[in-house]
Amino acid sequence: MIEILSVTGPASVQDLGRFDQYRFGVGTSGAMDDVALRAGNILLGNDENAAGIEIPMLPFKLRFGRDMAFALTGADVEAEIAGRVIPPWWRSHVGTGDILTVKTMPRGARLYLTVGGGIDVPMVLGSRSTQFRGEFGGWHGRPLQPGDVLPCAASSATIGELGIEPAGTTLARPNAAADETIVRVVIAGEYDGFDAATQTLFWSSSWKITPQSNRYGYRLQGPAVKPKAPIEKRSHGIVPGVIQIPPNGQPIIQMRDAQTSGGYPKIATVIRADLWRVGQARLGGKLRFEQTAYTDALAAEAEMSAYLERLRTNVRLVEETRTCR
Amino acid sequence: MPIELTDIARLAQILERSGVDTIEIEEPGQSLKLVVDTDPRMAASPTLIVPDADHSVIAKADIAGHFLAAHPWRDQPFVVPGQRIEAGEIVGLVKIGLLYSPIVAPAAGTVDAVIVEPGATVGYATPIVRIRPIN
Amino acid sequence: MTTPDRSRISLLGTSALLFEAPGAFDLPHQRRIWSLAAIASKWPDIREAIPGITNLMLTFETPPRELDTLIAALNDGWDAAEGLAIGGREIRLPVTYGGEIGSSLQSVADHCGLSVDDVVSIHAAPLYTVFALGSHPGYCYLGGMDPRITMPRRQTPLQRSAGGSVSIGGSQTGVSASPGPSGWHAIGHTSWTFFDPSWPTPAALAPGDTIRFEIERVIR
Repeated sequence: MIEILSVTGPASVQDLGRFDQYRFGVGTSGAMDDVALRAGNILLGNDENAAGIEIPMLPFKLRFGRDMAFALTGADVEAEIAGRVIPPWWRSHVGTGDILTVKTMPRGARLYLTVGGGIDVPMVLGSRSTQFRGEFGGWHGRPLQPGDVLPCAASSATIGELGIEPAGTTLARPNAAADETIVRVVIAGEYDGFDAATQTLFWSSSWKITPQSNRYGYRLQGPAVKPKAPIEKRSHGIVPGVIQIPPNGQPIIQMRDAQTSGGYPKIATVIRADLWRVGQARLGGKLRFEQTAYTDALAAEAEMSAYLERLRTNVRLVEETRTCR
Repeated sequence: MPIELTDIARLAQILERSGVDTIEIEEPGQSLKLVVDTDPRMAASPTLIVPDADHSVIAKADIAGHFLAAHPWRDQPFVVPGQRIEAGEIVGLVKIGLLYSPIVAPAAGTVDAVIVEPGATVGYATPIVRIRPIN
Repeated sequence: MTTPDRSRISLLGTSALLFEAPGAFDLPHQRRIWSLAAIASKWPDIREAIPGITNLMLTFETPPRELDTLIAALNDGWDAAEGLAIGGREIRLPVTYGGEIGSSLQSVADHCGLSVDDVVSIHAAPLYTVFALGSHPGYCYLGGMDPRITMPRRQTPLQRSAGGSVSIGGSQTGVSASPGPSGWHAIGHTSWTFFDPSWPTPAALAPGDTIRFEIERVIR
């Protein structure tokens, strides 16, 4: 088990998400950066869907209740375990009572803490992710608080320290500036409801990520993007990544805690292979959209799968090599 | 299928363990020749090596790959000469495929020299950092 | 809201696809959507078929390599779909109109050129049918609202609206099952449990069920 000592902002228990409950109005929840959660679980030899803790704000501090392995992935942070500094995207082994302190986040927006065997909260409707709106899943359906003691599944044996090249390095996009996130999008149903000049504005703008951005959605600020005539849709299903244009012309990217349906016009959808980049984009930062075709979006997903497969193979290899000695 | 760095590392370790010193692989479009270095200091920059009969201890690589003095997300290297370090502290990384394996200080002391150039290929037991222990 | 004269199919990235039926927002069209949903949910590589308001979202277990087959199947399915009449339960829901939670009651009245009492009686008159579930856990989209109390959705959605809010968005109405962001206008509230994850079926209501709002109180 692990005990939360201090927490800032809405840290929560998340796995990859709850994907087959839309018909009851239940959205996916799940890690905003699913690549980082998977990478942490791969490092630990866990099921990739094992639950971890998503930490969006610092400082954060916790105590390990017994010997166990853990990993930190996602945002770049300054972290210390038992007083020792650990590098980003790293797994380590701790003893009973050791304290993890995470102070600052110089890069990225969300840190993932995974533990050997995973955070062992009950499965609710097929997932361990926190459903904030429905107040279920995760740890009692709410953000973590100091004093919470989270159960951990059986930990694997002692494993040595090991790091992973951050996904942002391996999967770096060309032409990406340090303070700007570029994400690929497939155009959506109401794209043609915007005239050519407005469409161009949507593509060419560098959108500011407002402080009202969170797990529900990223609210962007920039030039008003308005359709030729007002569009009011009958309510229909939407998924994380859908970019809605409310009447004020300021785009909202639906994220993991978004409503499962909506009626604002949709201009485009961030592809699954890039949604984690939005999850790691910081408030106040810039975001730009790049149009991509459906088949290219599938190719990007294949590239992502290949990266994860390579991680799995590499970890197995290093494990084997170390065992041989 | 291209030969991956991890495959090379695996081959190198098989060679080391089996005592074979050279292997050559040829496939359509690519060939690979691996020569195992029996002199552990080959990867080192010669000017940095001072024969040392004192009690210095050496932090060594425990896996084959490329030496990284700093994490790619950090400007500063893990250690610089003159720095005080504790036993078990990370003094560098070996990059193997997508993974980083830590090189740790075997004892507390002061960093005397980082023997290997960043990016250099290292093997199992290649000396990386020389440390003057605290007595 | 315009009435589309032919079906539209559009992509939601690589995760899902949206089918929008032609024709009016009414029960006969919605029954065909329920029928199409029942069929499409059994197709290979489809995770779920989720009815919306005269539309259907298909989420993918695996995104199809090419979409033509799926698009053709949807169009054929719609053309062949007989209305699926679901004999649901009838629920009576006491509503307090106006007040702090239903603070948009006056603005809906102003927008529609009606009195507050008119809006309340017009809203409480019909027997509503649950057309679809969506938005948030247990939330129901209702069909049957009188178009005289139509009001466009908010320019900018609210960050937080109360649980149990009875609200209007465009020509639709519904009751929120829990607090959260909303682009709709709340005109009242009810206290009722719409969702519990420990129930065998977590949502209390299902498409085909009917709701009658009872005016418990009007706070002016």
